[in-house]
Amino acid sequence: MSEFNVKESLVENRLVGLWRLMAGYRPHYLVAVISVGLAALAQATIYYLLRYFIDDVLGQDNFGMMPWIAAGFIGLALLQGLFTFIGGRLSAQTSEGIALRLRSYIYNHIQRLTFTYHDRMQTGELLQRATSDVDAVRRFFAEQMIGIGRISLLFLINFAALLLLHVQLALYSVIVIPLVVVLSLYFFKKVGEAYERFQEQEATVSNTLQENLSGVRVVKAFARQEYEREKFEKENFGQFALGRRLVWMHGTFWPITDIMCGMQMLFGFYLGARMAIAGDITVGTYLAYSGLIIHIIWPIRNLGRLITQMSTGLVSYGRVMEIVRQEREALDAGDYIPEEIMRGEIHFENVNFAYAGPQNKMVDEPLPVLHDISFSVKPGEIVALLGATGSGKTTLVNLLPRFYDYSSGLITLDGVDLRRYPRTYLRQHIGIVMQEPFLFSRTIRENIAYGVDREVSDEEVFAAARAAAVHNVILEFPDGYETRVGERGVTLSGGQKQRVTLARTLLKNPRILILDDATSSVDTETEAEIRQALNGLMQDRTTFIIAHRIQSVMIADQILVLDHGRIVQRGSHEELMTQPGIYQRTFDLQARIEAELEAELATAVSTNGHAKEFYERSA
Amino acid sequence: MSEEYFEEEDFTSQVNGRTLVRTAKQGLKHWPMMLGFLVSIALVSVVDSYFTFLSKRIIDEGILAGDTEALIRIVLQYGVFIVIQAALVLGFIYFAGVLGERVQYDLRRRMVNHLQNLSLSYFNRMPVGWIMSRVTSDSRRVGELVSWGFLDITWGVTNIIAALAFMAYINWRLAILVFFIIPILIVVSAQFKKKILVEYRKVRKLNSQITSSYNENITGVRVVKSLRREEANLREFDELAGDMYQAGFRAAWLSALFLPIVQLISAFGVAGVVWYGGIQYQSDFITIGGIQAFISYITFMLWPVQELARVYASMQQAVASAERIFSLLDEEPEIKDRPGAVAVPTIRGDIEFDHVEFYYDKAKPVLQDFHLTVKQGETIALVGPTGAGKSTIVNLLCRFYEPKEGQIRINGLDYEQMALHSLQSRIGIVLQTPHLFSGSVRENLRYGRLTATDEEIVAAAKTAGAHPFIQLLEEGYDTEVGEGGVLLSVGQKQLLSLARAILAQPDIFIMDEATSSVDTLTEALIQQGMEALMTGRTSFVIAHRLSTIKRADRILVIEDGRIAEMGSHAELIRARGHYYSLYTRQFRDERTQMLEAAEEMAVLA
Repeated sequence: MSEFNVKESLVENRLVGLWRLMAGYRPHYLVAVISVGLAALAQATIYYLLRYFIDDVLGQDNFGMMPWIAAGFIGLALLQGLFTFIGGRLSAQTSEGIALRLRSYIYNHIQRLTFTYHDRMQTGELLQRATSDVDAVRRFFAEQMIGIGRISLLFLINFAALLLLHVQLALYSVIVIPLVVVLSLYFFKKVGEAYERFQEQEATVSNTLQENLSGVRVVKAFARQEYEREKFEKENFGQFALGRRLVWMHGTFWPITDIMCGMQMLFGFYLGARMAIAGDITVGTYLAYSGLIIHIIWPIRNLGRLITQMSTGLVSYGRVMEIVRQEREALDAGDYIPEEIMRGEIHFENVNFAYAGPQNKMVDEPLPVLHDISFSVKPGEIVALLGATGSGKTTLVNLLPRFYDYSSGLITLDGVDLRRYPRTYLRQHIGIVMQEPFLFSRTIRENIAYGVDREVSDEEVFAAARAAAVHNVILEFPDGYETRVGERGVTLSGGQKQRVTLARTLLKNPRILILDDATSSVDTETEAEIRQALNGLMQDRTTFIIAHRIQSVMIADQILVLDHGRIVQRGSHEELMTQPGIYQRTFDLQARIEAELEAELATAVSTNGHAKEFYERSA
Repeated sequence: MSEEYFEEEDFTSQVNGRTLVRTAKQGLKHWPMMLGFLVSIALVSVVDSYFTFLSKRIIDEGILAGDTEALIRIVLQYGVFIVIQAALVLGFIYFAGVLGERVQYDLRRRMVNHLQNLSLSYFNRMPVGWIMSRVTSDSRRVGELVSWGFLDITWGVTNIIAALAFMAYINWRLAILVFFIIPILIVVSAQFKKKILVEYRKVRKLNSQITSSYNENITGVRVVKSLRREEANLREFDELAGDMYQAGFRAAWLSALFLPIVQLISAFGVAGVVWYGGIQYQSDFITIGGIQAFISYITFMLWPVQELARVYASMQQAVASAERIFSLLDEEPEIKDRPGAVAVPTIRGDIEFDHVEFYYDKAKPVLQDFHLTVKQGETIALVGPTGAGKSTIVNLLCRFYEPKEGQIRINGLDYEQMALHSLQSRIGIVLQTPHLFSGSVRENLRYGRLTATDEEIVAAAKTAGAHPFIQLLEEGYDTEVGEGGVLLSVGQKQLLSLARAILAQPDIFIMDEATSSVDTLTEALIQQGMEALMTGRTSFVIAHRLSTIKRADRILVIEDGRIAEMGSHAELIRARGHYYSLYTRQFRDERTQMLEAAEEMAVLA
């Protein structure tokens, strides 16, 4: 499917934007509107046929025409039905087509927006725009636009037909219409607001219930059933009261307009009948008139609803376009794709980085920044990053696949400015295992093969899983590699998830490997297992390790200690051990704790030893 | 999303008469309102048909007779009926609308009240999403069926009958002709509507798939980018979106076909009337006004037929909803007060588990022949692998479940003889996954004892070690914790739920992994408070942390539903058995956690 560029619909005027969005469907929609008009025309003609039937067939005793008249009624109904159907079908095609366009575009757009945008935007907000707001735009085309068109055309065509019958009578028949339109606009605006409040309360009721259900143990533990009942009762009654209010609003609007429209019609009947009695119009004309007027007056009451809904449709459209307006990450931009294989030699020269936009999402965390970062990594080296939370470790490694672009300074990869490489190239050869493991709701096998866009053999998948020390775990699941992850599937422990993501990254066979605290939620034994497997894998790959435990960073060729976005210490484990500073203090502290615990265990064991000795001696 | 999933449950059952009757009873409880809307809607139908009849009289008695006086008389009568009709419309909107809301309100209330009595086993069996959609969407559907559904049926039926009666009055031969068209109209419409409904269900299903696909792409966007999955993802999504287009388009054009087809059928009726009516007119059996009335009656018969078809098609769904609601209401609580249950004033005293056997599934016993005597005031630690039965012991003690065999006695009395409320309100429990309710910190703490004063709340928070962090919150004790306490860390939530339990001043105190997410420093802080709380109270502690376990009077190692080892920390270490190996393994894990903490501290230094 070739992608429709929704971005071209970005204009100040939202109606113009919607018009552009219709590109390719405009003929369909035009025909749809014309069909609706033709259906109205066919319907109006039925009343002319009725007039002919009364005046010229029955009135003139021209009974031979009757079969033709009957056929005419069926024929006109057929035409009316046909055009109604064509109108419905084409407007459905247009609205569904536009919705498809928007859904695909936004899906693709979202995954191509920058990290910075996603950091700022809340998932729920984005999701709502992508789903319910898109659906509101669909309804705009499927229901509101065509509905307003239908009512307007019904009015125009029937009114024209009335004028043809009798001008004066026609004019007297629509006196009340402006008033009804205004009233319905006012009513549907009000009722829309009331309905919104009702829905909010409905959400409150279900949240209250949700809390009650998920906290059922607490409720039972404190025997607070009565309290919970009262709490729910309050919200529940609130919903009832708001619902009743809505009922009242409807109960006022419809009877009032019933009287207005009814009286208007009756007034028309009276005038028409007087004219017929006076001989100004024929009986047939009167009958046609009394039929046509129904189609003018009653539909008008719904105009307010459609217009109110249309305005919410426009708001939704605006919210959708807000996403479309955002710039995508240029994945293929870059003029340098090396012929030979990536070596993984990296230089940082006075690199600075600061987030550009405001950050709403993580208010508590300091904005990530990097100051004056300089270091060099030879191909195949292991670099460890150590530092407290928020010191900039993750931010630093995120610069390499160009998740973010640095603000100043220079980063080179194999001697070439990093910014000259296309992002796709970098991401193909750099593998990251992230702090928070994320798996997709598909099978474990599909998850592991997720990162390579080709058919992968079982052997390759198994090998990656073995390297990540997760193969045996997977085999223990009832469906093995075909086990589904997530919703309604198996729940994996944090450690298991992390190892699956590790396998996923390894299968990519990246030239540069980044392990961002990748072994934090696995137990010590598994960690040792993974470390052993990795030792082999890290050879001749440039590797970055972010870790907390000294044992994990000890093996690195160089260790960078970060604090508040700066490198405060660097060197090998042996070098750093001799320097006073964060590294030494960390080591000492960790060693001391270890020693203390060791001592405690030793005491326990030695007590045990004594006991054993004592026991043996006495035996 | 899960909610949508539960709504999409397939129902193949035919409309069950008994359920329908029981559903109708929900409305009959408010019979004046039901009577109100049934009468007003029936009258509305009659008046509607009468309007058409009056139009006929305007033509025949006014225009054709050339009688202006008669015309004015008829028009005045018409005007009076317009006003009456408006009053009737107000009546049915009000009665049916309020009844609908009322029935929904009643059902929600009854379900929620009933849910409070149901046993924990029910909640383990039923997903929250399932229960939620019973209380929300199912009650809505039933409420609408009882009010608007019944209203539409009444309107449709009376409208057709009234129209037929007027037609028969005008010309019975022509009326018989019309009479044959109605069943065709109804059957065709109902079948068609059903088909449309099935299509829309497909659309909804696809829509929820699209939503989850979006959800995953947004939450996993960082992974997608780092693995360059954009192209492949878009391909997959386009397939789904394409299916959605197909389904949506099909459902939409099918609905667009509905009205024309029904209209066409009635057009045959109109044609028949014109033809046969013309013949009748020749013999003076019918007037022009009569023919006009017939055409109107047939043309507008479309609407009641359409409504009947709609209600019929959606009735199955509403009755299925009602069935699910009744299944919830009919669920008997597994654990409830026995006849003659005693409301004990206190549950202080020794606790005995006597030959207790328990299973959730008979084939897989959890506890077998379990014996344990706990002295008043003792602190018992339960350790052992996940699934060994530690939580089951605690759940049994709380009487969330009851033993399948054997007895649990408190102070010598079989606890099944006690009133549930008197037992459970004296047990304080702090859970591993702490649950807070939305509201302020203070409100959450007060949940422990509704009558507690502010001072008592602060005192309890201090004991639990929660006071320092609460004070640091923006609005202190009045800070909103967010839905489920999302604005707090797990550790903070654990401290609050501990304080809540302290405030309850229970006779028996249970901690189920209650401080697993509290950092080492805070743990030390609250240790004192916990000890103060445990002195004099019988306490059960399930914990991983050694420091917590070590202080217990007795440690029970539970393995496969049995007590594998029992004794004090020192005794068990010396025994070099299960506890010893657990302890050393635990020790290693705890060490690494300490090391991570050490790093943070080194930076701070």
